[in-house]
Amino acid sequence: MPIHTHLSDDGHCVTIRIEGRFDFSTHQAFRNAYEHEDGGVKEYIVDLSETTYLDSSALGMLLLLRDYAGGDAASIELRNCNKDVRRILTISNFEQLFSIQ
Amino acid sequence: MTKSQALRILIADDSDSDRLILKTLMRRLGHQVRAAANGSEAVAIFPDYEPDIVLLDVLMPVMDGITAARKIKALAGEELVPVIFLTSLTDADALARCLDAGGDDFLTKPYNKVVIQAKLGAFSRMRQMHQTLSQQRDLIGERNRQLLEEQQLAKRVFDNIAHTGCLDADNLQYHASPMSIFNGDILFACPTPAGGMQVLIGDFTGHGLPAAIGALPVAEIFYSMTSMGFSGSDVLREINDKLCRILPTGMFCCAAMIQADFHLNQLRVWNGGLPDGVLFRQDGGRDLLLSRHLPLGVVKASRFDAGMDVFHTRAGDTLLMMTDGVLEAENAAAERYGETRLRQALDNAPDHKAPIGTLLESIRSFTGEQSGRDDLTMVSLNMVVASEFREVAERLPQSALKGPAAWHCVYEVKDDTIAGSSPLPLLLHICMEVPGLRRKSAEVYTLLSELYTNALEHGVLGLSSDLKSSADGFSDYYVRREQRLDRVEGHFIRFELTHSTSPQGGRLVIVCEDSGQGFDHDRVLAPGATGALASHADNQQGKYSGRGLQLIQKLGHSLRYSEYGSRAEIVYDWESATG
Amino acid sequence: MNDKPHLDEEALTELQDVMEDEFDVLIGTYLKDSSDRISFLRNAIGTADADAFARTAHSFKGSSINIGAPRLGELCLKAEKAGKDNRLDEAAVVVDAIESEFQQVEQTLKRFLA
Repeated sequence: MPIHTHLSDDGHCVTIRIEGRFDFSTHQAFRNAYEHEDGGVKEYIVDLSETTYLDSSALGMLLLLRDYAGGDAASIELRNCNKDVRRILTISNFEQLFSIQ
Repeated sequence: MTKSQALRILIADDSDSDRLILKTLMRRLGHQVRAAANGSEAVAIFPDYEPDIVLLDVLMPVMDGITAARKIKALAGEELVPVIFLTSLTDADALARCLDAGGDDFLTKPYNKVVIQAKLGAFSRMRQMHQTLSQQRDLIGERNRQLLEEQQLAKRVFDNIAHTGCLDADNLQYHASPMSIFNGDILFACPTPAGGMQVLIGDFTGHGLPAAIGALPVAEIFYSMTSMGFSGSDVLREINDKLCRILPTGMFCCAAMIQADFHLNQLRVWNGGLPDGVLFRQDGGRDLLLSRHLPLGVVKASRFDAGMDVFHTRAGDTLLMMTDGVLEAENAAAERYGETRLRQALDNAPDHKAPIGTLLESIRSFTGEQSGRDDLTMVSLNMVVASEFREVAERLPQSALKGPAAWHCVYEVKDDTIAGSSPLPLLLHICMEVPGLRRKSAEVYTLLSELYTNALEHGVLGLSSDLKSSADGFSDYYVRREQRLDRVEGHFIRFELTHSTSPQGGRLVIVCEDSGQGFDHDRVLAPGATGALASHADNQQGKYSGRGLQLIQKLGHSLRYSEYGSRAEIVYDWESATG
Repeated sequence: MNDKPHLDEEALTELQDVMEDEFDVLIGTYLKDSSDRISFLRNAIGTADADAFARTAHSFKGSSINIGAPRLGELCLKAEKAGKDNRLDEAAVVVDAIESEFQQVEQTLKRFLA
C-alpha cells in the first residue's frame, strides 16, 4: 500500500499513485500526499493503475481530497482504474464528482 | 550507587553464619529481611510476609531449596516473585534442576556486596514491570467489558427506535445481519397513511460506534416523516441534509429508498450506492434497479437529486434489495460471492416471491459460515392488493393536550410552491390534532390525497388520466407531468378545512379549490359511470379519473362539486369509538 | 598441594565492615558451628553414613568460603567428594587435615576479635 507522489514541473499538478490495496490503512499516507504540497497546486491526478482494491473508506478519502481541493471547484481525475475499481466507483456514482478515466 | 527502594527479602540457609552474613548485608543495603533455617520454614513465612524477592540455599534439612522453590512459586501464582538460589554447586545438572524448579538466578559464595546489589536491583525492576503489565492488562480487560456493555445498551436503545416499524408485515421478508447496527447497516420499514409502505435499506461507511450513531437520526426522520405522509423523495432530502451536517467529510451512507403504493400499484425506487436491486415481475420479466445517485451525506441539498424511478406494478411483483455485504461475502479462499453467483442463485430460485431464503442458503454454502456472524442485510417486498394491506402507521405525533374540536383553516399553495412541495403532510397533521380522528388517519389521508391529486394533475396541470392505463402511457404521463410542473405560474390550489363536534363524534368538512379549467362533474359521477368514461373523446381539457372520485364516494361521504368542477367539497362525519 | 592462604584478610576486612558490631557474633557462631561439624563428620565416618558426611562437608565448605577461609573450604570440598564417592577411609584422612587447618583459622580469627 505504498503511496508515491509526483509534482509536475510547473508545480500545478500533483499525481498520487497508490499501489496495492486502497483502504483504511492508507488513510494517513494519502492525506500526507496531498496536504504537504505548497500552494499553487491546481489539479490532482489519482493514478489507480496499480491499485488492486478500493473500499468505502477509500471513497471517503477521495471525498476528503475533493473537499481539501476546493469542493465543487476541485479538479481531480481518477485514472487507469481496473475492472474492480471501476465497478465500485460506478455503483457509488462517483463520476458525478470526479473525472474518471 | 543508585538509590533503590527498600525491598522485603526472604532468605533460607541452614548455615547459621551464612544466614547471619546475608541478613546483615541486606539490611545494610537498606532492605527488610526475614530469615529461615530451612525450606519448610521459608514456605511457612512466605504467604503472610509477601516478600519481593526470595533467596534459597539449595541443600537444607527438612525441606531443600528446590522443593521450597516449587512451593513458593505455586503460592505466588500470577505474581512474579523472583527466586535466587544460593549455591556453591558447580555441576550443570544441579543448576539445571534449580532452574527447572522455577529458579530465576544464582548467587555464589563468597557473597559479594556489589553483585548482590546488582541482582536485587535488576529483579526489583523486573518485578515492577510485571506488576505494571498485569495492572494494565486488567484495566484493558475491564474497559473492554465496559465497552461491550455500553454497546449492548446502545443496541437496545436503537432497537426501540428502529423497530417501531412494520418489518414484520406479511408482504415483507428480510435478513438483517446480527451485527447491525455496529456494522453500519440499517433497515427500516414504515406504513404510510395512504395505505402504502416505505422501506429504507442502507450501509454506513465504517464500523462500530461512528457508523451506528449516524443511524439514529436517520431512523427518527424516516419514521416520523413517513408516518406523516411525506413522500420518499421528501424523506431522502431531509436525511441527506441531516447527514451532510452531522457526518464528517468522507463518511456517508449508501442507501435505497422504496416507496410502495398499493392503491396505485406503483413502486418508486431511489438507489444511491447499493448493488442493483431486482424487480421480479409476475410474468417472469425482471427490471434492474440500478444505483443512479451518490450515496446520502455526500453532496449538499443544492446538488442532491431525490428523483425516484417509477414502476407500474401488479400484485405479486416482488422487489429485492440488498447491501454490498452480500456481494462481498467471502469464502475460506478469500474469494468474493460476487455478481455472477448472485445472478445464478436468483435465476435458480424456486420462488421469486420469496428470494431471501434461497439467497441466504446460496451465500452460506459458499462462505461455509453458518453461525450468523455475517454482514448481510437484504429485504424483499411483495406488491399486494391494497385491501389486504392492514398495517397502520401508529407513530403519529401524540399531543398531550385534549385537542382542538372546533376550528377552521385555509391553506393555499401557489405558483412554484405547487411544484415544490405537497401540502398533505401538514393538512393531515392538522386533522390529527383531533384525537378522535387519529384512528381514521388512513381515510382522512385518502380523502385529502385524492382531492389534491385531482386538483393538481387534472385541474392545474390539465393531464388526462387515460394515459395511465398503458405501460408506455404511464411513463409518458409522468414526463408530461414534470414538464407542466415547470409552468404553474399563476396557478393555485386552496384547501379549506372546518371541524366541529357532533353528538356522535365530529364533522370534518374539506373544501379543495384549484385554478384549473374544471370538468363536467355530473357526467363523471353519474350512476353507472365507470373508469371507461375517461376514454370518451373529449380532448380539450383534462379528463378526471372516475376511479379516484368513486373511491371517495365509496368511503361513504358526501362529495359535492361546484364552480364547474374546480371546487370540491367533502363532508366527513366520524363517530367516537364506543366503550 | 594447597596454595590458598589460610585466611583471606581482605575479605575478612570487608566482612568486618559489613557486619559492624555483629562481627564478633558472626565469628563466634562460625567457630562454634564449625567445631560441631567436625565432630559430626567423625561420627558419620563411624556410622558409615556417607550421605550425611557429604552434606555436612558441603555446608562446612560454604560457610568457610564465606568467612574467608579458602584453604579450609578447599579441604571441605575434597571431603564432600570423598563422601559422595563413598570413599570413607580417604574421608577420615581429609577430616584430620580439616581439623588441623581449622585450628590455624581459629587462632587467626580470634586475633580479629575485639
